[in-house]
Amino acid sequence: MLCPSLAALSLQSSTPEALRVVNLLQERNLLPPGPIPAPTPCLPQDLQKINCNPEVFRSTLTSIPQTQSLLNKAKLPLGLLLHPFKDLSQLPVVTSSTIVRCRSCRTYINPFVSFLDQRRWKCNLCYRVNDVPEEFMYNPVSRSYGEPHKRPEVQNATIEFIAPSEYMLRPPQPAVYLFVLDVSHNAVETGYLNMVCQSLLDNINALPGDSRTKIGFITFDSTIHFYNLQEGLSQPQMLIVSDIEDIFLPTPDSLLVNLSECKELVQDLLKSLPNLFEKTMETQSALGPALQAAFKLLSPTGGRMSVFQTQLPNLGVGALKSREDPNQRASAKDIQHLSPATDFYKKLALDCSGQQVAVDLFLLSAQYCDLASLGCISRYSAGSVYYYPSYHHAHNPAQVERFQKDLKRYLTRKIGFEAVMRIRCTKGLSIHTFHGNFFVRSTDLLSLPNVNPDAGFAVQMSIEENLLDMQVVSFQAALLYTSSKGERRIRVHTMCLPVVNSLSDIFAGADVQAITGLLASMAVDRSVSASLSDARDAMTNAAIDSLASYRQSVLTIQQPGLLAPACLRLFPLYILALLKQKAFRTGTSTRLDDRVFAMCQLKYQPLAYLMLMIHPALYRVDDLTDEGALNINERTIPQPRVQQLSVEKLSREGAFLMDAGMVIYLWVGRNCNPNFLTQVLGVPNYTAVPQNLYLLPELDTAESQRTRAFIGWLRDQRPFFPTLHVIRDESQLKANFMQNMIEDRTESALSYYEFLLHLQQQISK
Amino acid sequence: MVTLTMIARVEDGLPLAASMQEDEQSGRDLQQYQNQAKQLFRKLNAQSPSRCTLEAGDMAFHYLIEQGVCYLALCEASFPKKTVFAYLEDLQTEFHDQYGRRVPTVSRPYSFIEFDTYIQKTKKSYIDSRARRNLGSINTELHDVQRIMVANIEEVLQRGEALSALDTKASNLSSLSKKYRSDAKYLNTRSTYAKVAAGAVFFITLIVYVRFWWL
Repeated sequence: MLCPSLAALSLQSSTPEALRVVNLLQERNLLPPGPIPAPTPCLPQDLQKINCNPEVFRSTLTSIPQTQSLLNKAKLPLGLLLHPFKDLSQLPVVTSSTIVRCRSCRTYINPFVSFLDQRRWKCNLCYRVNDVPEEFMYNPVSRSYGEPHKRPEVQNATIEFIAPSEYMLRPPQPAVYLFVLDVSHNAVETGYLNMVCQSLLDNINALPGDSRTKIGFITFDSTIHFYNLQEGLSQPQMLIVSDIEDIFLPTPDSLLVNLSECKELVQDLLKSLPNLFEKTMETQSALGPALQAAFKLLSPTGGRMSVFQTQLPNLGVGALKSREDPNQRASAKDIQHLSPATDFYKKLALDCSGQQVAVDLFLLSAQYCDLASLGCISRYSAGSVYYYPSYHHAHNPAQVERFQKDLKRYLTRKIGFEAVMRIRCTKGLSIHTFHGNFFVRSTDLLSLPNVNPDAGFAVQMSIEENLLDMQVVSFQAALLYTSSKGERRIRVHTMCLPVVNSLSDIFAGADVQAITGLLASMAVDRSVSASLSDARDAMTNAAIDSLASYRQSVLTIQQPGLLAPACLRLFPLYILALLKQKAFRTGTSTRLDDRVFAMCQLKYQPLAYLMLMIHPALYRVDDLTDEGALNINERTIPQPRVQQLSVEKLSREGAFLMDAGMVIYLWVGRNCNPNFLTQVLGVPNYTAVPQNLYLLPELDTAESQRTRAFIGWLRDQRPFFPTLHVIRDESQLKANFMQNMIEDRTESALSYYEFLLHLQQQISK
Repeated sequence: MVTLTMIARVEDGLPLAASMQEDEQSGRDLQQYQNQAKQLFRKLNAQSPSRCTLEAGDMAFHYLIEQGVCYLALCEASFPKKTVFAYLEDLQTEFHDQYGRRVPTVSRPYSFIEFDTYIQKTKKSYIDSRARRNLGSINTELHDVQRIMVANIEEVLQRGEALSALDTKASNLSSLSKKYRSDAKYLNTRSTYAKVAAGAVFFITLIVYVRFWWL
């Protein structure tokens, strides 16, 4: 991509691709055929080569404005989106006795510092000159002396250090896992307990940890049940505490036991647990007291608490009332009850955070569960929320498969304990708002009792001092954590971006996906603190203001129509997609818990999966060919073209696959190609397509293999498991499928073209 | 009650294993004791006594050095020394068996953190009062109480030394200032005498002058 500054040098200033003017009202085919890559910052080759991977660290504007007033003129948000603990295939690890850091701002040495001579280096965040310590002059990788700039810390933007003992407040904690299970009648009915116990039995040897790993179980209905798993007992012993007003632990130890020493007892317990409560008639759920008991158990060491809940907690402290009014689900005005009803869960989450305990919540209910209040327990303790509405082992097999696969990932994925993260940026820039699941301890220190590889974070920045005389600015995220094997490590990511002082350069470097992701997080905050309609207006205004600014300040030739730079051509489409997203839509019936969960996901998911949630990818799959296919692990994976989300693109004669992140729909047209029906679905004609098909049959035909390879490839790219639903015209899920057709008009929302006209009208005012 | 157990390499103070018993009573001060323990490890060398008890307020540190590894335990000052040292010896034997050979080779802190499990089990068996009575027989080996030097932790961390140096300096200063005071008084009186003498001489001269001139 030709950088604007270079373009200006050439006699015939050819506009770089990013700034090509697009008239959105005329050009209909805006979507590229495949996934959209992250924009490359306009840096010299040698800097860009070692720059941080955009999957880990991404900015909304890849060219940073020089002054705050310039940023205000552009009307685009400035922020960073991070995925710091992402599973990486290649991660350099450094074991060094000295970790070189700037003396004043404590930045870790990184590829973007400058060496004044062999003995001194200049920090790229605060510009202080530091001395190179003697040990750093020797490069262990190349066994050479006197070339500190060749060391791995200065050659890699993403690196992990083994931390010396000064980085530990206490000896590294062991991996401690506590499972808190709802065993009321409702819970046993859904059959989730069988799945959890079976999953644990299958994965018990794959739980991350070492010989110190501890495990414990608490079950609850109207009383709390603890399990004594002391080594030497012939079978697990259940201890019931019925005084839920004043919870205490019945025995001082043996409730959390060493996994390797008591494995047989744990396995016995898991095998017998579903049967213990088979005939229960308890309908009450004392979640609050159970959480307090679990906290008491975990607070000496810290660890992870996994809570499984299937109904509204209605007993003891933290009991909640049903606040949802079903008649208001399709309200065209404001949605109420998006904020927590009680601060019990937030307070408990903060206490947990202080003791290095993270709480993950699995909600498997059919009725309203006030996720807006319950979600707080995970949000402030760096946990995650999983939601399986209407989970039932017999009636909803697709959810069952999803739960099983998600559990496997949850139990076996990498985990970090007692972590803190700090994000630093060059002098002149400052961070003011943080998005994600954590607790902000002091101005910029994020407390993460657990850090997992599926969590994304975002921050918003402002320019406090003008960035004069600076060519580039840098950002560094440092994550200090204890691995599951008791090693204290520091993962450092550093990113470098150029500084520009013209509005057109800022627009040329805009990253439309990152901007959309950040706006989504900001809109969630606005919905809760102000109102949903405020948030919706703010999102629309973001599109209006930025395009108006482009039109007034950057465009040299005024043309009619709605003009946008090529890099922002998808911006109105994404804004419309956000307005129609479950989290923000009005006028269409949306259950309150579904809406709140969508909001939680918007703040938690890393950008790549977030974009699929916001703007699903639609492919035609009845005519898959090997043309342009990828060859991965000796499997040929077809690459069909991405289609626009409009029924205009659907055809009765075809079958279409929609990838919406957490769910994949396969829509079969009424007059679908009979070849597809027989070769892929294994049915003779359309009427024989089963209603609730969620698994493609493994047929030996080329078409079946291609289709399954494609779906498998889509699924492999993400850590959670999307369910597959095959939809016919009469299917119940057809409405969900159609709701994702963002470009079409509905009774309560504009079509894409109408939205563009609306924007144009607002801009010309 | 043993609150904190730490095992470190004597040569450089690198922590090898540790076990902490946090409960509502000990809580906050544990951070301070941990820091003292870390500082202590750094001050140890080949000349340090192989067994020692250090008082620190209402808690006490007990340590034992064997084969270049220091085993440290923090407990209440009232806790019987015999029990603690029996406990530390138990840890020493087991740790040396399992990890003794690898101690000089590691560089990462807490490389043997997995020893924590054994530490916790051993701690329980020594705290249990019934076990304590049984220890009487084991402790007949620990008859050489004189080997255990008792000192104050502040002194060991050389704050005490600095204080006593300061003390001597201060007393020196006070005696010097007393001397100065007496010297100054003496000088004062001398100058007063000198002034009086000068005045007297002038007066006498005047009288003699008047007497011989006028009469």
